[in-house]
Amino acid sequence: MDPAWILVILGEVLVAIGVLCDLVAAIGMLRFPNFYVRLHAATVGTIGGAFVPLVGAALIAAGSEFLGVYRWFMAGAALVTAFLVLILAPAGSHALARAAHRSRAAVVKPKVVDHLEEDRRGGEG
Amino acid sequence: MSIEEQVTTFILVVLPIYIASFTLYVVRALKGPTVPDMVLAIDAMTYDLAAFLVVLAIFFRSPILVPVAIVLALWVYALDIYVAKYLESREMGE
Repeated sequence: MDPAWILVILGEVLVAIGVLCDLVAAIGMLRFPNFYVRLHAATVGTIGGAFVPLVGAALIAAGSEFLGVYRWFMAGAALVTAFLVLILAPAGSHALARAAHRSRAAVVKPKVVDHLEEDRRGGEG
Repeated sequence: MSIEEQVTTFILVVLPIYIASFTLYVVRALKGPTVPDMVLAIDAMTYDLAAFLVVLAIFFRSPILVPVAIVLALWVYALDIYVAKYLESREMGE
């Protein structure tokens, strides 16, 4: 079998997984009840929905002869983007969640227990 | 079937699913209800938009679309950090 076909099929499988994660994350983002639960959907959407299809697109670009010599540039730039998303997405979500909790900007509506809140109030008083 | 036809058909199948999920993200970004919710929806949507741009670059055979994805990922990280900083200390940092 031609190695280009293997690259393309592997990349298409990764892009298909990524697009499914993307759809599931978007539905979750719409249906979940509050901000802290939506963080879970955001994680599925960024790592599963952006990192995985970027690696897959890099493989597709590397295997596609019809893109000309620039396909190596496309594959490399897609891998760099995947690396950036892998580093930046968790850092950004974490900073946002920390800020939302400290400033009480997000309402925790269906709440069972919030130990962080209790600890902070105990520390202040 | 050649690689070119196969890749084009696959991307044509994938495109509507991407559009549908972007629509759902936009609905959440417009509905809110709080600022962190909107920023989180924009955040997840823009990372996915970066992946979508790379797929579109293969579809349109134009390599110039790929560096845009890098800038988009960096930009939305800056948005996250700025909003987080504003929420915590009510100033943007000089």
